[in-house]
Parts: sequence; C-alpha cells; structure tokens
Amino acid sequence: MSSDRHLRAVDDSYHAPDGVTLGTSGTGEVITPRGLVRAANLDSLLTQAARGSGAAFEQIYDNISGAVYGTALRVVRDPQLAEDVAQEALVEVWRTAARFRPDAGSARAWILTIAHRRAVDRVRSEQAHTTRLRHHGKPDDKQAPTDNVVDTMFAEWEAARVRAGLAELTELQREAIILAYYKGYTHREVSEALDIPLGTAKARLRDGLMKLRDMWEVAR
Amino acid sequence: MSEDVHALLGPYIVGAVSDEECADFEAHLATCSSCTEDVANLLEVTAVLGEAEAVAPPLSLRARVMDEIAVTAQVTPTATPIAATATVAPADATVTALADHPRRRRFTLIGVAAASLLVLAGVGIGIGSAVQDRQQQLAFEKDVMMVTSAPDAHAMDLELGSAHLVMSERMDAVVVMGDDAPMPHDGMEYQLWLVMDDGKAMPGPTFMPDDGSFMAMMHAGFDGVVAFAITEEPHGGSEAPTSDPIAVTEI
Repeated sequence: MSSDRHLRAVDDSYHAPDGVTLGTSGTGEVITPRGLVRAANLDSLLTQAARGSGAAFEQIYDNISGAVYGTALRVVRDPQLAEDVAQEALVEVWRTAARFRPDAGSARAWILTIAHRRAVDRVRSEQAHTTRLRHHGKPDDKQAPTDNVVDTMFAEWEAARVRAGLAELTELQREAIILAYYKGYTHREVSEALDIPLGTAKARLRDGLMKLRDMWEVAR
Repeated sequence: MSEDVHALLGPYIVGAVSDEECADFEAHLATCSSCTEDVANLLEVTAVLGEAEAVAPPLSLRARVMDEIAVTAQVTPTATPIAATATVAPADATVTALADHPRRRRFTLIGVAAASLLVLAGVGIGIGSAVQDRQQQLAFEKDVMMVTSAPDAHAMDLELGSAHLVMSERMDAVVVMGDDAPMPHDGMEYQLWLVMDDGKAMPGPTFMPDDGSFMAMMHAGFDGVVAFAITEEPHGGSEAPTSDPIAVTEI
C-alpha cells in the first residue's frame, strides 16, 4: 500500500507524521492509517466468536460498536431507533458469525454491511418512500459533526478520508452514493430524486464506489 | 436478464436494492467470479464510509447486546461458496449455486429395486405448506425432535442452501433440514438417497423448499450406508436416481 497516496486523500488540514502512524489511542494501541492492526485482529476475533467465544465477541463489540451504532444513526437519524438497529445487527453478527469467510472480505466490512442493511431496512419500513422523497428531495451532505467520537484519531482520519474521497467524485456519483448509502434510497428512488435514467443511477453508484476503491486502495 | 443482474452491483453494495433484487444478485454472484471479487472489495469501501460515522453508542447498548447473545444460538458453518458479506439478514439469502460447488463430490448412484430396501418410511415437507393437517405436522415435528435430540444424534453439513443433516442410529432415522435452498427445476423435486458401500442408492423421501426452508425425515437402518445424497427427480420421486447428486454428505 502506498501511504503517500493515502495521505493525499486526507483533508489538507490534517497532518500525520510520515504517514506511518497517525497516533495512539487512549489505550496506547498504535493506529495505522488503515487500522490494519485492528482489522486483522477483528478477523480472528470473529472466527473465535463463531466458535462460541463470548470473550472474543466482547472485544469485537469494543472494537466496532461505535461504527455500527454510528452507521445506524446516520441512516435512521433517531438515537433510540439507532440503538435498536445496532443491537439487532450485533446480535446477528454473533448468531451468524460462522458464515463469515475471511478470504471473502474483512470482518469489519462484513459486520458493517449487516449494520447498514439493518438500518436501511428500518428506514424503509418506518417511512413511506414517497413521503421521504418529497421531504428530502436532493441530498444534504451537511451533517452536524458528532461529538463523543470513539477512537478519535482513527475515526477522524476515516472521516477526513471520506470527505476528501467524496469530493473527488463527480456530482452525480457523489449524490447517488449519499442518497443510497446514507439515506437508504433504492436505486429507483435515486434515479427519481436526481432525475436521471435508472441505468445511469446504477452506473453512477458503481463508478463512484470503484473510484473510491481505487483512491483508497481498499481492495484485498 | 443476466445483463440486468450484473448492473445491480453498485446498488447492491450500498443496499439500494429490493429484497427480490438482492436475492437475484446473490444468486448471480454464485456464478460470477468477477462480481464476487468486486463485491468483496467494494464492501471495504462502504466499510470506510461506515467507520467514518463512528460515535460512542449509549452505554445501555452493551448490556442489551450481551444479554441477548447469552440466549441466542449460533448458526453452524455452512458450505456457502460466495462472499460471506453477501449473506446478511434479513434478506438472509445464502444462495448456493449448485453448478458451482467446489467441494461437491461425484458419486455414481446405482439404483436398487424398491423391494430390497431397508427403508421403512420417509416423509419430506416444505415447511408450512405440504402438510396442511396441523395434527400431522405436529406428529412429524415430534418425530424430528426425537431424532435430533437423540443421545447419539450426529449433525453434518449438507450443501443445499444452509442445511444440515442429523442422523441417529438409535432412532434408525435421518433428518435433513435447512434454509435458503434454491428451488429445483420446474417439475422436479429434491429426493434424499442413502448411498451404500457398494455404490447402490436407496430412495428416500422427496421434498420441496418452501421459501427456501425444507425438512425431511427418513427411517432406515444405517448398516452399510456410507453417504447421504440429494438429487433432483421428477415429481413424485424415483426408484433410482436419474441425475447426478447436487449434494453429498459422507458419513
């Protein structure tokens, strides 16, 4: 991985020493730009949890509950609802841990995909789509900055990376991803909201994601 | 059609698909290695989007989760060949491509005449549909429970959706059960077979998945039985297998 290239994607206001480590968390754990240490650890913890280890699952919780809850909160917006969604998602992680395949992606991606889908399902069942479309219309990327950031350095680094990454996309790519990922729009709703053909909506989602992937080099 | 499914890659990654489209795409994944690879690394992209949202959850969440997992049973590993990332609920469709099973064993099944069978009885149902009679279903479920809770009950994976098989020599019975099974081809049903050490196959019950779920039971002695197999057979089942097995579990 090229750390130079990663750092270019980070917000200008953010400086990291030599791009090797960005700092240490409160517990002294070294945080690499990509949280690699954490990620590898999470894979093995999830494998242990699949075999019934509650202790491993508690470590998984400590590692990723902030991202699970934060993802849910961003999508459903309501803290109470987000807590319910996070609970459902984390219990599902425990229940289906044996289906995690380390060779098919990271544990982090596996867990956060579960959390995101749960959140999107909740949004879709809570709200009539038409109402949602009428009320929100065009995407609003401005989100109040959250306090209580867990694992501050890492989350800030990720947030900066996301801001910088999204800024590199075309407007359609960016808006499509924001509507779909953060607001739970289906691709049909995305095409309606942006007034573009369905095929274009699908293609912009794919192109945008691939551009982010290439920028972030997250491919495994 | 496959063109359309292919185009769902982007929407699938960000969860912008309906349950039906999700199932279609996951079925497609099982046969498309290029999409499978894209899914794996594009989900790392959305993981970054999610991680960037991390905030401290309410303190109550931890206790709620730990309390619930203490009373939540875990699924057993399944032979799902596709990206595990694609197997999340509630569209918990673990789609398995029968044509693409890397670990599938080839058995040549030779039929035997029905008269020579040790098989005493077999019954298969798609849960909730085939057995209308509630009493009959309760009796069936009780039998299944007796087998699966027998002291010598032995569970094995079965590569048909997320399925497993439980055999008990003491009960002289085997039960196959699972979720997320694909439907057999039109006019076909699944049929369970006992594969003997001489390669012969003894017919068991036929069954159809209902919304992916299925359960079937067969009473039989297990002397000389080396494996269980599932084939697709014309409606009503066959005396001898007419196709290659789509799933084989060796004892």
